[in-house]
Amino acid sequence: MIAPANSRQQILDRIRTATQSVAKTPTELRDSYDAIIRNYVRHGSLSVEARLELMIKRLREYDAEVVETTPQELVSTIASQLAASGKHTFVAPSGLPADWLALGFNWEIDRGLSSAKIEPFEGVVTAAFCGIADSGTIVLHHSATEGRRVITLLPDWHLCILRASQVVETLPEYFDRCQHPPTLATHISGPSATADIEMTRIKGVHGPRFLHVVLVRDDI
Amino acid sequence: MSRIAPDLVNLDPRTAPPFPQAALPMLRNPQLRKNVAHAINVIQAKRANLVAEKTDWQELRSSAAAIRTLALENLGTYLEQFEANCSAAGGTVHWAADAAEARQIILALLRQENASEVIKIKTMTSAEIQLNPFLEAAGIHAYETDLAEIILQLGEGEPSHIVVPALHVNRSQVREIFARRMGLKDLSDDPQALTNAARHYLRQKFLTIPTAISGANFLCAETGSVSVVESEGNGRMCLTLPRTMITLAGIEKVLPRFQDLEVMLQLLARSATGERMNPYTSLWTGVTPGDGPQRFHVVLLDNGRSSILSKPKQRQTLKCIRCAACMNACPVYRQTGGHAYGSVYPGPIGAILTPQLMQMQHAQSLPYASSLCGACYEVCPVKINIPEVLIELRAQVTDIERKTLSRFFDPMYLGLRIANLIFARAWAFHLAQRFGRIGLGLFTHKDGWIHSLPSVGGKWTQTRDLRGLPEQNFHEWWAARRKEEK
Amino acid sequence: MRTSLFITCYNDTLYPETGRAVVRLLERLGVDLDFHPKQTCCGQMHANTGFHGEAFSQAKRFIRLYQDAETVVVPSSSCVAMIRDQYPGLVAELGNEELRQQFEALVPRVYELSEFLIDRLGVEDVGAYFPHRVTYHASCHGVRALHLGNRPWQLMAKVRGLDLVPLNNLDRCCGFGGTFSVKNAEVSSAMLAVKLQDVIATGAEYCTALDNSCLMHLGGAMHREYVGMKTIHLAQILASTEDCPAEATL
Repeated sequence: MIAPANSRQQILDRIRTATQSVAKTPTELRDSYDAIIRNYVRHGSLSVEARLELMIKRLREYDAEVVETTPQELVSTIASQLAASGKHTFVAPSGLPADWLALGFNWEIDRGLSSAKIEPFEGVVTAAFCGIADSGTIVLHHSATEGRRVITLLPDWHLCILRASQVVETLPEYFDRCQHPPTLATHISGPSATADIEMTRIKGVHGPRFLHVVLVRDDI
Repeated sequence: MSRIAPDLVNLDPRTAPPFPQAALPMLRNPQLRKNVAHAINVIQAKRANLVAEKTDWQELRSSAAAIRTLALENLGTYLEQFEANCSAAGGTVHWAADAAEARQIILALLRQENASEVIKIKTMTSAEIQLNPFLEAAGIHAYETDLAEIILQLGEGEPSHIVVPALHVNRSQVREIFARRMGLKDLSDDPQALTNAARHYLRQKFLTIPTAISGANFLCAETGSVSVVESEGNGRMCLTLPRTMITLAGIEKVLPRFQDLEVMLQLLARSATGERMNPYTSLWTGVTPGDGPQRFHVVLLDNGRSSILSKPKQRQTLKCIRCAACMNACPVYRQTGGHAYGSVYPGPIGAILTPQLMQMQHAQSLPYASSLCGACYEVCPVKINIPEVLIELRAQVTDIERKTLSRFFDPMYLGLRIANLIFARAWAFHLAQRFGRIGLGLFTHKDGWIHSLPSVGGKWTQTRDLRGLPEQNFHEWWAARRKEEK
Repeated sequence: MRTSLFITCYNDTLYPETGRAVVRLLERLGVDLDFHPKQTCCGQMHANTGFHGEAFSQAKRFIRLYQDAETVVVPSSSCVAMIRDQYPGLVAELGNEELRQQFEALVPRVYELSEFLIDRLGVEDVGAYFPHRVTYHASCHGVRALHLGNRPWQLMAKVRGLDLVPLNNLDRCCGFGGTFSVKNAEVSSAMLAVKLQDVIATGAEYCTALDNSCLMHLGGAMHREYVGMKTIHLAQILASTEDCPAEATL
């Protein structure tokens, strides 16, 4: 249901009048946009090793647990992480590699589960789109290996598999990684937190309180 | 005390008392001032560390200012682009010329959903249009889900800061509110325990209430996407679990391209909460089948913004990304807290935004609620020259006063008009100095100091002495010296 | 080196000792100093209080008065900020091309006192002697509008006998803000009280600054509350020698 056409027109007319001396034509606008000076740092300067070290350091500052592994040992690392969690029921994205679904646990593949059905699950395992070392951020674009947004939101424990080759140093480098803008994205920089009570940072309001990251050294 | 002094707080600019008056309860409340100072000190220290660490901070600010300025100067183009892209992705875009229309649009959407309850992500824009009481009167209860907003909603208090709205509330006050309103008799005042109580209180609401209302930190024209920046995860809950999502956003929130977020996000987190990045940033585009709300509406709000846009000297006000760094830096805000500003937008940004949204008809005392120290401009991530806008708005308020009869009874007005005549001619200035010396001499004690003055002068001598005017001023000394030399 | 002293309306009326100190200091440094007898005010008070129209004539007056001056030295950061930051807008609005050119030619020749000493004269050591414990308040306009940076410290470092005690929150506003001090007297006083706590905590004998406006504010509270500390403009410290010690303000 579109709002009365006159409000839309009224607002756009007001805006047009307000900016008539400065607004640009489409071609001029493209040029003006391109002419914006961007002298901020876009590209990182760290070596691969230093970048990964920084990513791990930042994750641990948020009390996220990080373990490194190799592609060969990934499956067994996942299994041991799940075992160490003390949890038994996990939900998984529909495209998660089958061998990541370690035996001995109750798995539910999410092919459109309702929130009520997801709520009882203790944990979730996903891949990721990118890691940003500067801020220890994990980015999910919610592809088939990363899952719908709800499954990384309701369970209290999230195991995220991040490949070293997915880690960039700076936020602008993440944008360079996006061949086209994502329709859905969630940037996670630590478990949820609040500082609303006397500025004391408390972890774990809503969203998973426990974040575990497996960093796969697919670069070596 | 249980309720957070609601009787004393009025955040409606149309009826709120003038700033000097509204500030008094806070100035007289050491506990409140201590809470505010503590909160501010924490954020400022964190921000300062991270800004020092970010070697390209000034370059980011420059680019952000340029991006926001371009967006505002071409707002029509970018809003239409946003609308087209959002609609193509399955969203519905509505346009609200003013607060009343925005409320009506939202109510109509909620009625369509047969909603009697709605969950909300914190949005100052919804407070600006006074949405919650309006919905309440229409039989729809809006549950705030941000911890600070819950504290205020349950405690019937009012926000005093745009990022940390309950910074004026301490833990024992929170404990008391939660214990009473959530029925938790044995609740401790440990912040962890309080936070757990909030988590539990909200969980069922997130899972069962099918309609949500949010604001937007950024609207992306290129993609038709909306971005919400948060810490607690209640935002993610609200924008993922319900069936219907309504996003209310001021028209100024638009950015040209997705990539512009690479600048804004770096500045926002450091400025707002002193973090390299806030815990959760969400971005969504229209409707994604099978993932999240299947009905999505954006309500674009004007409510005075296009009027601000039309004034070149004031347009920069709309660059604001609501980080609140200005109020954290402000030495006035530090003493008065947010309620004194009589608006949901307090602090330096509030002092310029509020009167402008009111078309200068209300909140006329706010542009004067500043010593023009410039600390706000120094920290503003998008380089809004707040002092410059304050001075411009003061000129507008004065021009309004020039048309009133009451100006002849305003000693400050008369004094400044006379001073202007005096400064126009050296002989008038010198004469006025002599008269001043004689006049003030009547109030000067033997120690050479003035302890008490009438009228406007009395506002000075309330708390400060004034040294009496010297026998010989500088130009008289110079002239005498010249004479001697000859 | 020639310079013309713009004493400022409030220094002329309330703090002539600061003017006398500037004269003594600059003459000691070999500067040929003159004083235009027709000077009055830069217009800041009017501009900042919203009396925009009234500020025009004061700005015009200032520009015309000093168009032939080699340089202009001003012992007040806020007045220099007015000239640099607000005059361009006022001049543009007046739309007088001749005035605009006069202004553009003049503004690079206008210096705040510490800028004049460091940038124009190229001196840090002005031969001063002031054997007292002093704390320095960094006035807002000096810090944020003029970006004075280290200049005050470069000068203070060379003052013999000076015991400089750092001030916590040294660049936090003292609460004066011109007419703000009376239009928002209570808030101004609260800011002043907080500032005074930091100043008193230094244990200094003197609080100094480059603006007498701030010192009038701080000094007014110090006197009211029997604080036992004095204020003094930095010019007076710099002018002080063994033979001719500074006149204190309080």
